[in-house]
Amino acid sequence: MSIGSRICVLLLLAASLGASAEAKQLAVIVDKTNNTGGLSANDLAKVFKFDSHKWPDGRPVILVLRDPSTPEMQTAIQKLYHMQAEEFKALLAAHASGVIVVRSEDELLKSVESIPGAVGLVDVYSINGRVNVLKVDGKLPLEQGYFLKGN
Amino acid sequence: MKMRSLKVSILAVLLASFGLRAFAHDTPNGMHISTKSPQAHAFFEKGVQKMEMLHTEDGLNNLRSAVQADPQFALGHIFLTFFSQDPTEQVAEREKALATRASAGAEEKLIIDWLANASQARWIPAIQAMNEALAAYPQDKHLHWMAGWWLQLDQNQSTRATAMFEQVIQLDPKFADAWNEAAYCYAKQGNFEKAFADIKRYTELVPNEPNPQDSFAELSRMAGRFEEALTHYRMSLKIDPTFHESQLGLGDTYALMGQQPRAREEYAKAIETGSPVQKVLWSLQSAATYVREGDLAAADKAFNAVAEQAHAKDFANLEAEAYRSMSMYQLDSAASLNLLAKAEAVLHEDHKVPQALLNEELASVLRTRVERAVADNNKELAATSLKQLQTLADANGADGIIETAMHGAAGAVALAAGNYADAVNHFEEDEANAISMRSLILAYEKNGQQGNATRLAAKLAALNEPLIEQAIVVPEFRKHRAALAAKTNPALDPRGKYR
Repeated sequence: MSIGSRICVLLLLAASLGASAEAKQLAVIVDKTNNTGGLSANDLAKVFKFDSHKWPDGRPVILVLRDPSTPEMQTAIQKLYHMQAEEFKALLAAHASGVIVVRSEDELLKSVESIPGAVGLVDVYSINGRVNVLKVDGKLPLEQGYFLKGN
Repeated sequence: MKMRSLKVSILAVLLASFGLRAFAHDTPNGMHISTKSPQAHAFFEKGVQKMEMLHTEDGLNNLRSAVQADPQFALGHIFLTFFSQDPTEQVAEREKALATRASAGAEEKLIIDWLANASQARWIPAIQAMNEALAAYPQDKHLHWMAGWWLQLDQNQSTRATAMFEQVIQLDPKFADAWNEAAYCYAKQGNFEKAFADIKRYTELVPNEPNPQDSFAELSRMAGRFEEALTHYRMSLKIDPTFHESQLGLGDTYALMGQQPRAREEYAKAIETGSPVQKVLWSLQSAATYVREGDLAAADKAFNAVAEQAHAKDFANLEAEAYRSMSMYQLDSAASLNLLAKAEAVLHEDHKVPQALLNEELASVLRTRVERAVADNNKELAATSLKQLQTLADANGADGIIETAMHGAAGAVALAAGNYADAVNHFEEDEANAISMRSLILAYEKNGQQGNATRLAAKLAALNEPLIEQAIVVPEFRKHRAALAAKTNPALDPRGKYR
């Protein structure tokens, strides 16, 4: 048995643990100097669709994104952009100066950490202490009803 | 006094007389341990070692001795928070860990931040601290093992957990439990080839322990290799006849093989030797064998007996579970709803069982009520029960069991209302539950996701978990699939050979 099964029995739990699906949740991350605590889902969509260009402190918004084919971006395209992949690529091409496309999660985290005004999306289990995580509609990732969730 | 204890005492006195400085311990791929007490250090190491061999009670006792020997030992306190199964102890130890955090080393502080935040459902700072620790100490095998364990058990992230266990194996190929846990992760992902390779290595590393054989058996059972499962459970019992989980495994395997009288015989042996909690838990499994053979009157009798047994021991959540299990297979809706009301009433009485466990069972009761109401087309009851469940979920945001119950129920309501995309979203959050799996297949089909429906149908047909949900759903589902296959291609009908 795994240690999980053993704990299950000791806890008077008959149901199996780890019953939920392995859902992916995206954290919206910004650099540590960004004081924005959270955004509504609508405002977040505006940021990611290049409709909002500046943070409340006046700094320009720089999007840091993974390649559109990654699972993270698939969730983002579905939840934030409501677009087909081709439309999304065209949008990025039209706003090339406001976006950095990176090849890995590591690169994304390092870019957001080091570029003032940067904002990115990353699997919540990859976040580190060198970035801030924004609330969306008042909720952080892994809270009940969090917006940026997909399988 | 025995010689060995005397030696330890003399050593402790000698060290104390020299005036103790912070006692730090580093190994090339181990964890830095800060305690002023060599005894605490020794107990701690032994405790961790025991936990890694799944000797949970022994491990916990050693960890308790460690913090008794040095109450300022912050890492010891946080390990107890993490491993203890007693919610009161978890909270008390977490507070002690935070109070003594200042005396800990840099790595220990990150571990405390990770686990103390996690125990309060503050997931973001918890994950941040865990990842900082993993990045700063990439060679620490214990840290990676714990991270894998947390990701798998607390967070249901088996893919990420696998990476942690693989890292442990790379750091120390003889770290037995890493092979064991990795095997379970692979099995959960459906990669049985890798799961069996890893579990085989586990059995080779600790050939004199029963658990590797028990794990081998359990994975064989999950893969539908029942004869192999029986062989390995017996090998486990040969190594240690008191390893009761393997005796239970024999019962589970026979139940899944369809040999219910034999399953009950094996369960009876397990129940005889189990602890009071195990007796009740395993009696629930035994009662479910009557459901598997379609003898519902005998099932009622057996579940009622379990409920009485649980009541006598004040295991209220298990008493309620017995009534809920009965409600699930009742053909008459009024009888089913009565049983659910009985279960709910039990949970609202005054009990010594931790509230979290009562809430989890209440969520399951409410979910079952929603499902029954949906089946009866009783929209009002479905809506009010779902609302009750939603309130419970909101108040217990960090509880995965309540959340999955809520999604299972919300999915059932959405599916009945024809909101297929919504139903898919909800059921996907409860994808390990056989009832939700069956509904998700339908939701996928209605939502135009035929590929997903086909994959999930194959998974459900191959589900070999000894749970009441499986007993109610899977045998019928297999029959239905076989009949459908026969319609489209008679050569595939497994019943053909009897004609």
